[in-house]
Amino acid sequence: MSTETQTETVERGIVERLRASPFLSQLVSNRLAVTGIVIIVGVVLLAIYARLTYNISDLMATQFGTNPSEASPSLEYLFGTDGQARDIFPRVLYGAWYAVLYGTVTVAASTFLGVGLGIVAAYYGDLTDNLIMRTMDVLLSFPSLLLALALVTIFPEELGLWRAVGALTLVYTPRFARVVRGAALKVLEDEYTDATKALGATDPRLLVRHILPNCLAPITVQSTLNYGLAIIDIAALSFLGFGASPGEPTWGMMLSNGVEFGLFSGAWWWSFFPGLLLALTVLGFNLLGDGMRDALDPRMRETVD
Amino acid sequence: MVSKRFVLKRLLMLFPVLFGVATVVFAILHLSPGDPAVVIAGERASQEFVNQIRSDLGLDDPLWQQYIRFLGEVATFDFGQSYQVNRGTPVSEILTDRLPITIELALLGQFAGLLFGLPLGILSAVKQDTWTDHLTRIGALSGISIPIYWSGPLLILLFAQFLGLLPTSGRIGSAYFVDPVTGFILVDTLLAGNFAAFRSAVTHLLLPVVVLGIYQMALLSRMMRSSMVEVIRQDFMRTARAKGQGSKITVMKHGLRNAFIPVITVIGIQFGSLLGGAVLTETVFEINGIGTLLVDAINRSDYPVVQGTVLVFAVLYTLVNLGVDLTYSILDPRIEQ
Repeated sequence: MSTETQTETVERGIVERLRASPFLSQLVSNRLAVTGIVIIVGVVLLAIYARLTYNISDLMATQFGTNPSEASPSLEYLFGTDGQARDIFPRVLYGAWYAVLYGTVTVAASTFLGVGLGIVAAYYGDLTDNLIMRTMDVLLSFPSLLLALALVTIFPEELGLWRAVGALTLVYTPRFARVVRGAALKVLEDEYTDATKALGATDPRLLVRHILPNCLAPITVQSTLNYGLAIIDIAALSFLGFGASPGEPTWGMMLSNGVEFGLFSGAWWWSFFPGLLLALTVLGFNLLGDGMRDALDPRMRETVD
Repeated sequence: MVSKRFVLKRLLMLFPVLFGVATVVFAILHLSPGDPAVVIAGERASQEFVNQIRSDLGLDDPLWQQYIRFLGEVATFDFGQSYQVNRGTPVSEILTDRLPITIELALLGQFAGLLFGLPLGILSAVKQDTWTDHLTRIGALSGISIPIYWSGPLLILLFAQFLGLLPTSGRIGSAYFVDPVTGFILVDTLLAGNFAAFRSAVTHLLLPVVVLGIYQMALLSRMMRSSMVEVIRQDFMRTARAKGQGSKITVMKHGLRNAFIPVITVIGIQFGSLLGGAVLTETVFEINGIGTLLVDAINRSDYPVVQGTVLVFAVLYTLVNLGVDLTYSILDPRIEQ
């Protein structure tokens, strides 16, 4: 009896807390968003598992003699083997590690840069604002993948896949700067910023402690939506031959091999499995990002009959 | 009506943007670690020869002089000569050859996306929160999550390799030769009156267009849905229904017109992703548009071609968005304020 009421109270507590935060409750009640979270957590666990289990140099080396070459999927080689006789299954799993690692760095770096530029532009206004935002406008007038392709060339080749990260960070930064500037301008209109200033807060303190926390919602949505995009774009650059070195088990590189060598021999498994995991990961982030946007946008919240 | 002042203002705003774009392209190429003179001379050339080429190209001049010269060249559509393609072919000539190929592909992909995406989005909005809606939304979300360089190879494997129904790559069968009048293969084959060639071109373009169209379709149906959902809630829609108009007529007559406005903006913004998609599609299907041109040029350090291609892509994108802005202001005159 008593334990039952206890759990009931706890449950009620959770429900009430969720009710107090409409964003979280909206998100949790959105089945698609929850599916997205499940997929993302799954991929991250897979990435960590692959990183801890497999040795990267083993995955990259050719395996003639050990494995048959170009074997179709079987119980022994779940995803088949490629032209270098490498087992595709562990390579696809390891690709998750690449996607999560490089995707995270890209999103973190562009969020950091964009947030900094956006807040500074909004707060100082005038010339600073114009200088920053016009530069962002120019960067936004390039089709993103093409700008990334051109930018990859300014990084030395030794950097490998980090070149793609650098290029895409520069490509995504303007989007964050724009979103954050808009949000920060709204916050700056509020009276508490004046109050904080009157109390003698320094500029950096005001920006970091008071304005930034109030811009977090749009930043989070933008980051989530950009996560999927970053993963798909990094893979695209790898696919086009900019970034990963040959043999590196990134999904983009595996797909590139699949197109170059597997297409005419009918070896569908070279392309199928890496692409499947890539698409699934991106879908996870898109589901979550969509759910977040719905939860944040009050117009979407009320259902109409 | 659009006022002349608004159009003029938008056109004038084009100049600083294009100036900025040219500056970025100049900066990118000068930050690249490669040396154009070495590329032209070849790895084994003597130092003297390399120096000779460098001074011929004006690469020894101060940076600001090179920059001014570059801006002047860009303003006159002179992008220099290719280092690699038949050594010395003007870049502008290569671009005029290749550009129509990419534009044709992009337009067909956009058209396919509109053709299927808009009706799906409207259907989804009208049947909001039913199974039709859920399925369409999940389908659309999957559509934007599937990379072109995955759906492309899979469709090639299925339709070309296993079923043998469609060709795997290229724009037209090697047996056909058509005079490039417009550069659009579908138009050129028809102009030549060669229907067998036209059919060959259609079968070649089918898969690339489908692959490019899936993504556009998914995007547009999402936009169309959310825009339509918003419009359906408006008071004027209820009024129209209250007047006794049938639900379908209300949707068609009052809803669509208003729902299209944001969708048109999105078409403009997404034109960038359409071009990016075209580059990937060209690579998968071995189509010689400016996408493959750019990738090859980067790989071979053919800087003038990289410069020209990136500039042309940026200008195209900017112009399409200008067009969208103007269309938008015709549909919704309030935008001018």
